[in-house]
Amino acid sequence: MDNLIVRYISRIFLPFVQLYGLYVILHGHLSPGGGFSGGAILGAGMVLYALSFNLPEGEKNFSPDASTILESGGTLLYAGIGLFSLLLGANFLANKAAGYPLGTPGNLFSSGAIPVITLGVGMKVASTVITFFYRLIAREGGQNGAAD
Amino acid sequence: MIVKHAPALLVAIPLVAAYLLPLFARRLKHLVVPAALFALLLCSAGSLSLLFQVMHTGLIIYHFGNWPPPVGIEFVVDRLAVFTVLTLSLVGFVVLVYSIDDLRHELREDVRGWYYTLFLTLLASLYGMAMTNDIFNLFVFIEISAIASCGLISIKEDRACIEAAFKYLLLSALGSGCILLAIALLYMVTGHLNMTYLAQAMLQAAELYPYNLLASLALLVVGLGIKAALFPLHVWLPDAHAAAPSPSSAVLSGLVIKIYAVAMIRLLFQVYPAAFLARTPVAEIILWLSTLAILLGSIFAMVQEDLKRMLAYSSVAQIGYVFLGVALGSENALTGGILHIFNHAVMKALLFLAAGAFIYATGTRKIRDLSGIGQTMPAAGVAFAIGALSMVGIPLTNGFVSKWYLALGALDAGRPFFTAIVLVSSLLNGIYFLPILINAFFRKPSGNAAAPRALPTPMTAAIVVLAAAVIVFGFFPGRMAGIVVLAVHRLLGVWQ
Repeated sequence: MDNLIVRYISRIFLPFVQLYGLYVILHGHLSPGGGFSGGAILGAGMVLYALSFNLPEGEKNFSPDASTILESGGTLLYAGIGLFSLLLGANFLANKAAGYPLGTPGNLFSSGAIPVITLGVGMKVASTVITFFYRLIAREGGQNGAAD
Repeated sequence: MIVKHAPALLVAIPLVAAYLLPLFARRLKHLVVPAALFALLLCSAGSLSLLFQVMHTGLIIYHFGNWPPPVGIEFVVDRLAVFTVLTLSLVGFVVLVYSIDDLRHELREDVRGWYYTLFLTLLASLYGMAMTNDIFNLFVFIEISAIASCGLISIKEDRACIEAAFKYLLLSALGSGCILLAIALLYMVTGHLNMTYLAQAMLQAAELYPYNLLASLALLVVGLGIKAALFPLHVWLPDAHAAAPSPSSAVLSGLVIKIYAVAMIRLLFQVYPAAFLARTPVAEIILWLSTLAILLGSIFAMVQEDLKRMLAYSSVAQIGYVFLGVALGSENALTGGILHIFNHAVMKALLFLAAGAFIYATGTRKIRDLSGIGQTMPAAGVAFAIGALSMVGIPLTNGFVSKWYLALGALDAGRPFFTAIVLVSSLLNGIYFLPILINAFFRKPSGNAAAPRALPTPMTAAIVVLAAAVIVFGFFPGRMAGIVVLAVHRLLGVWQ
């Protein structure tokens, strides 16, 4: 697709979409939404970018390789938090019992391991949305088809 | 004490490994297979430690995140769970060893790493299903396993695989929907998701809201029936298990469908009140469906020309035995049914792996073209023969043991007709397995079967180990049966 209006509008939109996605992820433990919804917004932002510009451009910004790393990384962060509480002498995925600092309820940095877990989920979902998109538009023959 | 956390680690280790593998696949390709093997080795060690703990101390209860039930998710490892977990570890590990070489000719290079990821994810979900005491957690694991199984079927990317995977995906989604709705109905009237609390609350709910419980029971039987391929709901199985790569078929037929049977056993015996079940015809329905499965599964298997398709239909018949034991409900019958979960897992994995070896070596999967294969590939041929004889239920193989318990159990329950069914089905199994053996051992090798490719050592080793297991557990069934009998006592103690 080569359309000046679409490109221009999405260029204006994109920072806000990304910022809102991050906002939803980081406030997962305080407000509705969380890792999944925030991650989906972040991913949708990347899909918008790749759609309105073209695929090679999108891949330059966020390569399939990077999305593999983020996908695994998000899950490993989640599981890592869970396993780390074993080291602290509590059960798998323990939060307060493992001694993570809970902070003041309502603050951005509060509720122990939950924000980290939400971040992990956010990373995973955002990269999965992008991977799905890349896979769906990939063409026969190449790893990822040409743009447009 | 790391041993204390074994229940959680059994799920966490394969999951973590599954997500590490794609990272390894990028830079450290040579580490992918060892990492997968190492993860499963840890799991096997974990399940052995669980066995020792359960045999010494009885139940192990694990609260995730130190949250006690009814709020938190709880794993309860009883003897049924330990038995299932051991089956998963043994068969899973052997199949993984086999798959390393087999996949080289079945899958493209770039998707091979993903195979191990899917395999480990699947095993993690199966471990979870075996141990969880939370009905919604059970649903989550069911979904993970459905997706991973679909991946394992469609990974070959040819037409048949994708069609089979799509069919499986649709039917399995229908099953998941039924299960979710059933869970919602139960939660609506009891307010609990933890099975122990659910069982208590249901005693009262059975009087107040019998229709809710009835609807949820029907939905659960249909939902889990689809997943476990109980007879009229089995239509997805032959395509899926025949089209998938051989190691996938072994795991799907040997392990995956059984776990849903375990889930059904738990729900029927430990969650629903016995008095309520006695008022419904559910046992009778499962009984007749499993009888039809046993007979018709074998009859369908007879007319197949494709070796793997025949084995897939035979799985339909064999899952019938498990449900037959569950439905008869006497101590011996239940022991036979549950024991058959392990026995069939071992022998069906053996048969699929041996069939995979034939396909690997000759490139053909038609039964007709495999004449004389037993002479040119003695190891795989003899192993296949052992598996087939065990399927028929010849004494001194493990298949005999579970059929013996089932036949006795049917007499105990006062239903000698079903003893006859077990005997007739052995005959039917003989009808479709023995011609293959005669063909393989007593005909002249011809075509590709005359000059097969050499089999890599790990593949042969995996097959031989499983064949040895069939014989060992046929000669010495006591250990496994002992665990199962204790598990059955616990199940029946709650039931009555």
